[in-house]
Amino acid sequence: MEEAEGNYWITKFRFKLIVIYFLKITLLSLAIGILLTSMATFVAVNSVMIFAVTFMTVFCGMLIFKPTWGVTKLEVANYLNVAYPELEESAGLLLKPLQDLSLLERFQRDKINGAFPLPNSLKKASKGIWVNLILLIGVLIVHQFLPLNTLVSQPPAALTNLNAVKEQLLPGIKDFNVQILPPAYTGKKTRTQNQFTLKAEIGAQVVWRIETTVAVKKLRLIFNDREIITLNEDGRFSRVINQAGFYQIELDGKKSDLYPIEIIPDLPVSIKIIAPTPYTTIDVGQVPKVNLAALLKDDYGISDAYISATLSSGKGEGVSFTEKKLSFNTDVNNKMAVRLTKILDLTALGMKPGDELYFFIMAKDNHGQHSRSDVYMVTIVDTTELMSMAGMAKGIDLVPAYFRSQRQIIIDTEKLLKEQGTLALEEFKNRSNSLGMDQKLLRLRYGKFLGEESETAIGGEHDHEEGEEHTTAAFGDVKALMDEYAHKHDIAEDATFFEPELKKQLKAVLNEMWSSELRLRTYKPQEALPYEYKALRLLKDLQQKSRAYVAKTTLKTTKLKMEKRLSGELTKIVQPTQHATFEHTDRSIEELKILLSILEYRKTGRAFNYGDRELLRAGEKQLIIAASTHPTSYLAALKAIRKISLANNVNVADIDIVQSTIQKLLGKEISKPQAPVASPEVNLYRSYFNHLQNANQ
Amino acid sequence: MMEFSYLIIICCLAFASFLLYKEIRRRDKSRLLWRIVASMLMVGAFVFLMFPVRYNTKKNEPIHELNLLTEGASLEAIKALKANVYTLDSSVFLVNKKKKITYLADLTYHLKTHPDIRKINIYGYGLAEQELKTLADYQIYFHPAVIPTGILSVSWPKKLNISETFIIQGKFHNPTEKKIKLKLYGMGRSLDSLTVKTKGMNNFSFSTQPKHIGRAVFKLIALQGNDTLSIDPVPFEIVSEKPISVLILASFPDFEYKFLKQWLYENHYPVAFRSQISKNKYSTDFLNRKPVNLNRLNSPWLKDIDLVIIDEDELRSLSLSDRATVYREVSNGMGLIIKAAKTGLGEQPLISDSTGKTMVSIKLSGMGKILTTTQSSTYQWQLVGNQMRYAKFWSHLFEKASRKEIPFYSFEVTPKWPSVYEKSTIKINLNDYKPPLVLIDSIPISPRQNMELPFLWDGYFWAAKPGWSTVSINRKVTYLYHYKRTDWKAAKNFAKLNSTVNYEARQRNSVVNFDEVELHAEEEISKWWFFGIFLLSISYLWYEQRFLANK
Repeated sequence: MEEAEGNYWITKFRFKLIVIYFLKITLLSLAIGILLTSMATFVAVNSVMIFAVTFMTVFCGMLIFKPTWGVTKLEVANYLNVAYPELEESAGLLLKPLQDLSLLERFQRDKINGAFPLPNSLKKASKGIWVNLILLIGVLIVHQFLPLNTLVSQPPAALTNLNAVKEQLLPGIKDFNVQILPPAYTGKKTRTQNQFTLKAEIGAQVVWRIETTVAVKKLRLIFNDREIITLNEDGRFSRVINQAGFYQIELDGKKSDLYPIEIIPDLPVSIKIIAPTPYTTIDVGQVPKVNLAALLKDDYGISDAYISATLSSGKGEGVSFTEKKLSFNTDVNNKMAVRLTKILDLTALGMKPGDELYFFIMAKDNHGQHSRSDVYMVTIVDTTELMSMAGMAKGIDLVPAYFRSQRQIIIDTEKLLKEQGTLALEEFKNRSNSLGMDQKLLRLRYGKFLGEESETAIGGEHDHEEGEEHTTAAFGDVKALMDEYAHKHDIAEDATFFEPELKKQLKAVLNEMWSSELRLRTYKPQEALPYEYKALRLLKDLQQKSRAYVAKTTLKTTKLKMEKRLSGELTKIVQPTQHATFEHTDRSIEELKILLSILEYRKTGRAFNYGDRELLRAGEKQLIIAASTHPTSYLAALKAIRKISLANNVNVADIDIVQSTIQKLLGKEISKPQAPVASPEVNLYRSYFNHLQNANQ
Repeated sequence: MMEFSYLIIICCLAFASFLLYKEIRRRDKSRLLWRIVASMLMVGAFVFLMFPVRYNTKKNEPIHELNLLTEGASLEAIKALKANVYTLDSSVFLVNKKKKITYLADLTYHLKTHPDIRKINIYGYGLAEQELKTLADYQIYFHPAVIPTGILSVSWPKKLNISETFIIQGKFHNPTEKKIKLKLYGMGRSLDSLTVKTKGMNNFSFSTQPKHIGRAVFKLIALQGNDTLSIDPVPFEIVSEKPISVLILASFPDFEYKFLKQWLYENHYPVAFRSQISKNKYSTDFLNRKPVNLNRLNSPWLKDIDLVIIDEDELRSLSLSDRATVYREVSNGMGLIIKAAKTGLGEQPLISDSTGKTMVSIKLSGMGKILTTTQSSTYQWQLVGNQMRYAKFWSHLFEKASRKEIPFYSFEVTPKWPSVYEKSTIKINLNDYKPPLVLIDSIPISPRQNMELPFLWDGYFWAAKPGWSTVSINRKVTYLYHYKRTDWKAAKNFAKLNSTVNYEARQRNSVVNFDEVELHAEEEISKWWFFGIFLLSISYLWYEQRFLANK
């Protein structure tokens, strides 16, 4: 057995080394993990996660980069050889099986076997432990005593968790908890809290469990100061919360503080259409496609979204509507926010020129609440309608003479384009240019309606320079002289011919004509065509606008007999008299207003009298009503008003809360007429006044 | 006393005549004249011994000065002064106790006992107007302190009607480099605030819509960083509205009238509405009031009406007597609003639209007012939900036109900030000439009637505790706020500063400077003279009788 001793010792030594190694890296990972966690609280990151991640990273890193755990016996023996000269570089011999050793080796093995156990063999390895331990303690001290952790991590805790709310408990309550089970569709987990202040999703099931120190006869929950529920002996109660409000606990007649119940509402999906604009017009030459992009958002998840499109086609009495339900390509399955896009192919939808498409987006959230966007409209311009003469055959037409020309230009352009292949380039250019000339003439003619005088300016103002040269007027010609100095802007006809709105549109027409002229003159009739059409469309609109239309009716009135007028018998006509007095039943607003100044007076230390207390009670009632719907805004004031009416000494802070809340309750005031106040009537003044008046007469 | 002296004089005269008789009747007639002279002198001297002889003289003396320290006086100024430093302000006295300052309880008394003092040097913020009045005979030299930091002047209405906007305006002096925040605080919340610029005088104006009925004390707080410079009380009262009784005369019922009627009805105003349905046939509504026959308008009934609203057509079709009745009542103070197509010429515009066209105009007619409005579709504001605008428009018109309410009395209190332990004056304006019964905090005050205007009365009082106190005049109670002495310190000091500066300037204009003073003094001739004469004359008489006569 003696031979085995060295081998056995080395095995044990290896095991010890590995244990020490693991201890070391655990300590080091802990230290680094805590240090990083402390720092992470600065940026308010979840500290537990940070700790876990850093700990694992450091630990694994150590395992990989310093794999002492995988040390072999041979390596241990080599290490011992280096560390202990008395082993004479022969520790490896101890590991070999006895029968494999030569005689000399056996001798050597026996020799060094005596050296075991080696003294202080773990000293070097264990040194690291102390270093790491000190490091960890140091980090812990930093973490504990620098108030980084507590200081920084508190605000998020207060925001996300209501645990920060300090509550006064009834002394009889031994233990309690409140369990909130949010409705399934919210996807939120059940949570338990040790406080009575509630914040629950709408429709959540809330379970109270209250344990008392002694057996109580009556344990009740009072909701909104109205609804009283007596709890069973086990102190459990559950209800579905659908409404905000407040409640309190009553233990054998002893009432607790008021606790608010806040509701997290479930809002329907909000839909925001990014493209297109509410009114889109597809002009000639444009691709009949519309890009639709929308942003949808919901608090818990969107279950469905689609486009509801209505196509109206036809004219007048022959309008037909077809409804279509278009789905988006992207799936919305329960996402909280999603961006949806769709290309509406108008031709695929069956839209022809002159048709209109109305569409809106419909969405449903996972609670089944529907919501829809505004209605958007897309129209395709009907060229044939524009070319029709229907509008011009009748009615007042302010711009008849020139109107045909724009249509003519379009016809000519189209004709030119058709013949383009057969024509020589020179001829084509010539014709295009002459069309451009026609367009220019037309533009200038329309420009006159706007008062445009120069050829270049489009709807621009004309200048009148001071030094403008004038032809010398004939001597004695007063009118000519007058003309020279008068600034003839206000020619009556020009000024009243068109309304500003009409002028604006006319300007837009000129703009289109200008663009079309440019293309025609640069021999690009194909490009000019859309502008020509647009100009024509705008002109058409103009024409429609400037027309007043009255339908013909057939009505015959009987002739008045003038001699019979105003000669009727009036004796049997009764004179009706109504009499009413406004019932002044609701005095609550007035009471609140008076209560405000009573509270103000209370600040100076005056005690409440009987009437004041009545008003306080009335005010409390109003606050209860308000608090049952908006506990967060009004509950504090309700608590304060109860304190004020019970307390003997004045607490200005409480009064301030109540006053400011009552003012919020009163809302904005609508002014009422008031009689002005004069100075006290004195006979002296009156007689003075009468004297003055008599003197004037 | 007077009688006694006459008695003595009579006795002396009797004695003198007795002596004269005796001397003349003596047988020895020698030295008679001398004896008579001596006797007369003796009696005369005796009389003058009892009644000292006084006479008036004039003499010139150099004048004495009095140095008066008031609050705000700089310590350097005191150092330079050698003697005679006095103060009326106990707070100044307490602060500078070591610097040999004498405290004067009553300046007037001190000046009376020291007639040689003719010149008064005032240091600091100076004296109030009332105190200065007592110093009319003295030369005042004012060494003003620097303008105090804070609110120098402020004003706000002490009484408001419900739904009126409360506006407080004033001036703030900030000589420092740092910005100051002013805040109006009331009813448990901050109502309005602004930042005061550095280095100079700033105007400020706050407005808020108070919601209470009754009395309240708001606070005006000046903050510099986290330091509170001052907190001053802003007391005021809100009284509930007095209903205006309205008569509407319509030529035909329309929406405008219907909505106006409904609005007044819901606001509890008594309304009588008459609209013509046919010739001399009317439909009448009486809302919140008793029905009467309205086919004819009668004067006594119109006395209760504050305001008549009528349209142009109806005004034209009113019978002559009715129209005269209406106009007579207008000249007695009733208001009249005429709905017309356009406003009359020469009337004062009340409301104009954005283009400057007058929509509502106003003119005086006797004691009443006539408004002409061209607005005929204000009900549309109500229809679109703009109740605020509708209410504001009509409230404005009603307030301008309505018959003025005449109170039984009004009063005003001086100084501006009646403070505790200070003399305050109450001036009462009554509607009759009977002496009023005035109680302030149940303590009766004896008012004094004005000599020229018999309906004006005034009285003095001293408030004992700060806060609201009741003022009962002829058993009708109103309220008055008494400030603490420390409230509105800067404004009070600034007012003193101004009044003293003005007083000094006024005096400079009227009085020439002088270094000597002419004193009018009463001198007494020493009694020893008379005693000497008495002794000499009596010695002569004795000697003459004893030695000369016996020769």
